Amino acid sequence: MKIEARDLGWRNIVRGVSCEIRPGETFGLIGPNGSGKSTLLKLLAGLMPRAAGEVRLDDVPLGQLTRRQVAQRIAMVEQFADTGEALSVRDAVELGRTPWLSPLSPFGPEDTRIVDEALAAVDMTGMTKRPWSTLSGGERQRIHIARALAQQPRALILDEPTNHLDIHHQLALLGLVAALPVTVVMALHDLNQAMMCDRLGVMSEGRMVACGAPSDVLTPDTLGRIFRVRAMPMTDPEDGSTLFRFLPMEEPR
Amino acid sequence: MTRRAALVALTLPVLPRVGLGAVLLALAVLAGVIVGETALPLRLVGDVLAVKLWGAERALDPIDAGILWSYRLPRTLVAAACGAGLALSGVVLQALVRNALADPYLLGVSAGAGAGAVSVALLGIGGGAIGLSAGAFGGATAAFVLVALLARAAGGGPAQLVLAGIAGSQLFNALTSFLIAKSANAEQARGLMFWLLGNLSGVRWPDVTMALPVVGAGFLVCLAHVRPLDAFSFGSGAAAALGIAVRRVQLVLIAAVTLMTATLVSLVGSIGFVGLVIPHAVRLLVGPRHARLVPASALAGAIFLIAADIASRVLIPGQVVPIGVVTALVGAPGFALILIRNRRRA
Amino acid sequence: MPFPLSSALRGAVLLAAPLFCAFPALAQTEYPLHLSNCGVDLTFDAAPVRTVTVGQAATEILYALDLGDRVLGTSVWFSAVLPQFETVNAGVPRLADNDPSFESVVALRPDLVAVQYEWHIGPQGSVGTRDQFADLGIPTYTLPSDCEGKDNSVGSDGTRLAPYSIESLYQGIDELARIFDVPERGAALLDDLRAREEAAIDAARALDLGDASAVFWFSSAEMDIDPYVAGQGGAPAYMMEALGLRNIIDSNEEWPVVGWETIARANPTVIVLARMDRRRFEADDVERKLDFLRTDPVASQMDAVRHNRIVVLDAHGMDPSIRNIDALETLSAALAGLDLQ
Repeated sequence: MKIEARDLGWRNIVRGVSCEIRPGETFGLIGPNGSGKSTLLKLLAGLMPRAAGEVRLDDVPLGQLTRRQVAQRIAMVEQFADTGEALSVRDAVELGRTPWLSPLSPFGPEDTRIVDEALAAVDMTGMTKRPWSTLSGGERQRIHIARALAQQPRALILDEPTNHLDIHHQLALLGLVAALPVTVVMALHDLNQAMMCDRLGVMSEGRMVACGAPSDVLTPDTLGRIFRVRAMPMTDPEDGSTLFRFLPMEEPR
Repeated sequence: MTRRAALVALTLPVLPRVGLGAVLLALAVLAGVIVGETALPLRLVGDVLAVKLWGAERALDPIDAGILWSYRLPRTLVAAACGAGLALSGVVLQALVRNALADPYLLGVSAGAGAGAVSVALLGIGGGAIGLSAGAFGGATAAFVLVALLARAAGGGPAQLVLAGIAGSQLFNALTSFLIAKSANAEQARGLMFWLLGNLSGVRWPDVTMALPVVGAGFLVCLAHVRPLDAFSFGSGAAAALGIAVRRVQLVLIAAVTLMTATLVSLVGSIGFVGLVIPHAVRLLVGPRHARLVPASALAGAIFLIAADIASRVLIPGQVVPIGVVTALVGAPGFALILIRNRRRA
Repeated sequence: MPFPLSSALRGAVLLAAPLFCAFPALAQTEYPLHLSNCGVDLTFDAAPVRTVTVGQAATEILYALDLGDRVLGTSVWFSAVLPQFETVNAGVPRLADNDPSFESVVALRPDLVAVQYEWHIGPQGSVGTRDQFADLGIPTYTLPSDCEGKDNSVGSDGTRLAPYSIESLYQGIDELARIFDVPERGAALLDDLRAREEAAIDAARALDLGDASAVFWFSSAEMDIDPYVAGQGGAPAYMMEALGLRNIIDSNEEWPVVGWETIARANPTVIVLARMDRRRFEADDVERKLDFLRTDPVASQMDAVRHNRIVVLDAHGMDPSIRNIDALETLSAALAGLDLQ
């Protein structure tokens, strides 16, 4: 699904962002803390009230869709989503089917299959009965991803999905997301992980200051300006890919 | 799958449970009708029902038959409706504001009802033509509107709603205390407290025709929103992301809950404990998913309040204990047992 | 044998009686007068001349003793003053319809405060405690009808340990007459009250009531709710006992709340309704009480309702007061007019 942002804004947190995310691509959003990444993601999912500008999903203005229709197209995984309810792992993932269910189309065998697949995708098949309160942060994060997958969206919006995950599950998740046939937009902190995206948008003070292929965007110059680090590109001798090593910025004397 | 097939698939597996619930409820109503201040023979139940419902010819003692048909049956039915309505309100508010301490009176409805009833009784509003019930309903509605406006002005989130509810409740409770301190004597204060603590003794058929439709409609509204209520588990943001029209759902559910609670408070006073604890107890028994929680809470609330009403009539012979006292006295230890049992199982 | 004179007329006769009494039957009060009143020892050096009353029953006893000129202020009114006292009452300032404030009482510099109920002036008095008044040198006199055989520290209206006795009312009249140095007026009032009481009782006993029973309905917090009815403790129980009616209510409280179910099952022979000016509950209105009895599906089936054996009495006559005798007469006369067989 194509996602188009036209002059998107929300108060002073996000200002005049326009970009086009192509069908099927994995789009990474990077930027320092407080640069407006999370807000932009919510704007793209139509979750912010009184937003300026417009979002189009496959050329349909988001404002013309009901919340339910939006949720059938876009799944969102926010940071810090928690619950006090004694939900089981399966309960939480089943919530993902909500936009597809109604009193006349209740939860059926097809939905069970979709939920099973989503659980398998995040490697949680054996833990379906575990109560939410007993899960670690990483496990909870994987359940949120599974819930989003169970929503069977055409676009997945993830806010720092690798948070809380150990390195194995970080890589597994990024691999999973990259392999999905859907459009993925995600905010990332780890710039080396961002290198795995098809394209990147760089946020700074509410504006998207750069957008393009990782190699075009992640230049030592941009990184120095936006992130205030000294980045040293290195080449992996095994596959020739570029890695960064980060050092503190030398203060100008 | 056709619609019809979908409906069959939806209803078939739950039919036995619905049946079981209906049987339990019927047994509770029967107990509520038989047990009371004075002893009535079980045979009388069949006779009265035969006469009233099928027009059969039976010789009945008019007072016994009247007590059964005109006092106890409506009283038991209203107790059931009241228990179900309060439990449902608790379920809905606990889900919407994501606070385990939320109860049906959270939004100032009970405090408003008290202030309204006391105004009628002590300020002579309506000159005796308006009953406490009408005053209570007016007060409950006024308090809720005030709380809703305040919450909206404060930003409109669940936390603001809870805080506005507390402020509103305090204000109306203070108003009640002020009116009582200003103008009531001991006998009146007793009368009002008795009424405010909850009292089913004045219930007649007209109250049934108020309570049952309102609670029935509220139940259907809640039942139609079981998925949205589930979706609120991770907060209103997550609910929106799952396709829930958050504002509309909140508005519909809170309106339903307020209408139910205000109606019930105006009919029988503010019976505590049911709306707070029944949802938690039922959650421990059937889990947090609202598809089960909503009907199970309604059933448990109904049966619990019928039982509490029976207890209030027989606990002290010849005297009726306020039902709100019974719900807490009987309910608190029961809830403690469920808590402990649940810990062992976990 | 019903006495043809109305009670109001007889009251007027009674008031005039002492004036024509040439030979006082009783000696003058000797001061200082020592008195034990509701657990407090009182000493009077002279008859009080500046009295404040808290409670209509106390006020009306003083009026009945023709002491209206020594009352500076009244308070706590439940209904209009008895008609025979309208003139004297018009000349006395009313401090408050309900509870007066402590200071408004004290400001009149009374040398006696006469009290009907301990809930106003007593250990937890809403106006003040007796000690508070004593500290200012103001003696308080509480009608014995509110403390003899009654524990006011239990229950919101107090709890009667022994049934109300009309003798406690007579004791109050006697003691007030002595305090005010008008013993002959007290004796005359008591003679009259006792005579009327006896006449009313004799008239009722002559009716051969058999196992006739009754219930006194005071009011209800809501129209259909369990009503306040007279228990075994209060003045109505005394009236029923005196006239030979069985009270269907067993509770020892003065005004317990009892379900209609229990009342209907007991099926009393006579129903007595309280008439009052108060309009705080719907059921305060005696017409609403009658409506209820005639329309409620169960209450309307009671024999008393079907045969219209309903008597209306002044509510204040059901509290301990000289009106008890008026009420007793009214009830006795009404019983004679009912078809009780």
